[in-house]
Amino acid sequence: MTIVEIEDLTFSFSRKENPVIDDFSFSMEKGEIVGILGQSGSGKSTLLRLISGLEMPLKGTIKIAGKTVVSDGIFIHPENREVGMVFQDYALFPHMTVNDNILFGLSRMPRKGRKQRVDEMLELVQMEPLAKRYPHELSGGQQQRVALARALAPKPNVLLMDEPFSNLDADLKESIREELGVILKKANMSCIIVTHDRKDVEAICDYSIVIGPSNQTKNFSEKKFHHV
Amino acid sequence: MKAELIKRKIKKEFNGWWIISIVGAVVILLPILFIFASIFQEPNENWLQIQQYLLKNYVVNTILLVVLTGIFTAFLGVSLAWLVAAYDFPLRRFFRWGLLLPLSIPTFIAAYTYRTMLGYTGVVQTSLRNRFDYQVSPEWLTVSGIGGAVFIFTLFLFPYVYMITRAFLENQSTSYIENARLLGRKPLAVFFKVVLPLSRPAIVGGTILVIYEVLGDYGVTSYLGIHTISTAIFQTWFGMYDVNSAMKLAAWLMVIIVGVFFLEKLLRQRRRYHISNKSRTLVPIKLKGMASIAAFLYCSIVFLIGFLIPFIQLIVWANMTFHKVWNETFFTLIYQTVLLAIISTISILILAVVVANVCRRNSSFSFILSKSVTTGYSIPGPIIAIGVLAMFIYLDQWLAPVYSSMGLGEAPLILSMSIVMLIVGYFIRFTATGFNAIEVGFEKMGTKYMEASRMLGLGVTKTFFKVDLPLLKGALMSGFILTFVEICKELPLALLLRPFNFETLATKTFQYANDEQIYEASTSSLLIIAISILSVIIFQIIGKRVKQ
Repeated sequence: MTIVEIEDLTFSFSRKENPVIDDFSFSMEKGEIVGILGQSGSGKSTLLRLISGLEMPLKGTIKIAGKTVVSDGIFIHPENREVGMVFQDYALFPHMTVNDNILFGLSRMPRKGRKQRVDEMLELVQMEPLAKRYPHELSGGQQQRVALARALAPKPNVLLMDEPFSNLDADLKESIREELGVILKKANMSCIIVTHDRKDVEAICDYSIVIGPSNQTKNFSEKKFHHV
Repeated sequence: MKAELIKRKIKKEFNGWWIISIVGAVVILLPILFIFASIFQEPNENWLQIQQYLLKNYVVNTILLVVLTGIFTAFLGVSLAWLVAAYDFPLRRFFRWGLLLPLSIPTFIAAYTYRTMLGYTGVVQTSLRNRFDYQVSPEWLTVSGIGGAVFIFTLFLFPYVYMITRAFLENQSTSYIENARLLGRKPLAVFFKVVLPLSRPAIVGGTILVIYEVLGDYGVTSYLGIHTISTAIFQTWFGMYDVNSAMKLAAWLMVIIVGVFFLEKLLRQRRRYHISNKSRTLVPIKLKGMASIAAFLYCSIVFLIGFLIPFIQLIVWANMTFHKVWNETFFTLIYQTVLLAIISTISILILAVVVANVCRRNSSFSFILSKSVTTGYSIPGPIIAIGVLAMFIYLDQWLAPVYSSMGLGEAPLILSMSIVMLIVGYFIRFTATGFNAIEVGFEKMGTKYMEASRMLGLGVTKTFFKVDLPLLKGALMSGFILTFVEICKELPLALLLRPFNFETLATKTFQYANDEQIYEASTSSLLIIAISILSVIIFQIIGKRVKQ
C-alpha cells in the first residue's frame, strides 16, 4: 500500500525567490524507511514541513494513506493529517513530564486506553524509570527517545524525522542509530528521515533519495537501495 | 491558479484568532480615523477664532517645549549612560538602576512638588530667609513658564534616553569601544568618534519617547499655565464643549507627531548597524582621584534632584496631612483605580495575546496588524481622548433609536457617560505595552512547541491553552504589571474620559494640586510613585534575565 504520494510539488519561500522544491514527485510504501539526503538549503527540511502541513506548497498534490491532504483548493491542517514528527531539537514541552509529553498526543483516543499506550511507548523506548522526569533533567539521547515515543504514540500513518542525530555526541550516535532502526521496524512504522549524513541513511534506511537545488537538472536522484 | 492558492492560504491561516485581532485593530484605529476625518469637516466660529488668534502660539509653545526638552534629555541621558556603562566609580552599581527612579515620579507630581518647594512658602526660601536672613528675588527660583516645564520634563523623563542608551552601550558596542581603546584613542575621542555615532539609533529612540511624553502632556503644562496644543484640546472641550474644534486641534498635533516620526526616520537613516547578539558586556574602567569624585557627584546630584529630594519632600507633606486624607473616600479611590486598571489591563492582555499569536507567522498581514494595535503608544493621550469621545458621541447618536425603544428617553448619552469610554481609551493607548511584553515571550518560545503540538493532533486554540499559555506565564506577568502601572499613572485620558464624579488616584492628585491643596496631594502621589517603582523593578529583573 502506498503511504505517501507526492506529485509535482513546488514550493518557494517568497514569490521573488527561485523555488526551493521544484516539481518534485515521490512515493513510498507502507513500512518503508526512506532517507532523504541533501546539502543544507536543498529543501529537505522544507519537504517534511510540506508533508506535515506546517508549510503550504505553491502547487502539487500530497496524499497520505490514500487521502489527499493538499491539492488545488484542499488544505488539511497539520493536526488532522495523522503524521508524526520528531523535530531536530526534539521540542519536548518543557512544562510537562516525560509521561505527560507522551500522553499529549493521545487526546483523540478513548480515555481508558491512554495510560496503557503511554506505558507501551515508555517500554518501547526503555524510558519507564524516567517517566516522571522533566525534559531538562534528561540527557540528549534520552530526550530523543522521548520525542520518538511521543511521535509514535498516536500511531501516525507516517513518521517524519528531521536530522534526528544532529544533536547527539558522535559516540552516542552510532548506538542510538541502531536502536532507532530496531524500534521503527518493531513498530512497523513508515518513516522519512532527513539527514545530511550518508552514514545515517546506510545504517537504517531501506533506500534513499538525494534532493538538491532546483537549478540542477533533476530534482532528485534515483532510489538507491541499501542492505539493512 | 492564483485564486486557488489564495483560497488555500486562507483555509490554512484563517480562524477565530484572526477575527478577534481584526476587530481589536479596528477599535484601536477608529478614533484616530475620526481625528483625520475632522480635518475635512466644516469649521465653526470657535475654530476660526482659535486659528486666527491662538493656534500659532500653541504650536510655537509645543515645538519649543519639544525641542528644548529633547536637547536637554539627550544630553543628560547620554552622558549618564556613558559614565555608568564605561567607568567604575563609587556607588556605580547603585546608580545603574537608581537613575531610572526619576521615571517613577509622574511629571505633574514633580511639577507641583518643585513649584511649591521652591516657592515663597517652600522649604528652600523659608530656610534661606529664616536661617540665613537671605531674601531671594522671586523670579530667580520659581518653577514656571516654559523654562520650568523644560526643567521638570528633563529631570523626570531623561531615564528613557539613559535606559535605552545604556543598554545599547553595555551589551552591543563592546568590541567597537574596546578596539578604539586598543587603537590608542583618548577617552573623549572614543566618546565622540565611536560611542556617539554608534549609539545614535538608541539615543534617537529614547529621545523620541521623551518627545511623545511631552507632546501628550497635560498635567505639567496646564499646572504651569503654558498653552500648548494638548492643553488647548482640553480647554476647547471643557470650556466650550466643542468636540469639532478639539478634534481639529488634535489633527494639528497629529501633524507634529507625523513630523516627529519622519524626523526619527531621517535621524536614524543608514544607521541600522547589524550588531551581533553574542557580544560581551563592556568592562568598565576604574576611575581614580578627581575623575572618580566628579563622576560620583554628577550622578548623585541628578539622583538627588531627580528623585530623592522630591520624594522626601512628599513624605514630609504626607506626614503632615495623612490623617486628613487617609479615610473611607481615599480607600474607595484606591479601590476604583485598581479595579479599573485591572479590568483594562486584562482586556488589553487578551487582545495582545491573540494578536501576538497571529503575528507569530510572519507575513505582511501580521506586520500591518501588529503596527495597527501598537499605534496608540505613539499618539498622545489628548488626541486619543478626543477621538474616543467623538466616536462615543457618534455611537450614542447612532444608537438613539435603540435607546428610545428601550424607554431610555430621546437621544440620551449612555455610552459616552459610562466608564466603558475610559476603558476603551486605555485600551487604545496601552495595548502596545502589553503587546510588546507578550511578543517578546512568544519570540523566546519560538514556534517549535506549537508545531510539535499541532503534529500531535491539537488545533490552534487547544495548542494555545495547553502549550503556549503555560510557557507564556512570565511574559504575561510582566506585561500585566507594566500595563497596570501605566494605567494607574495615566492622567490626560482619565481626566477627559472618566464619567461624571469618577476619580482615579491620578485625577484626584491632579485636582488637589490644581486647588492649591498641595500637601493633601502628597499621599496619593506617594502611592502612585510606589506603584511605578514596581515597574522599574520589573524592568530591572527582565534586563537581568535577558542577560543570563
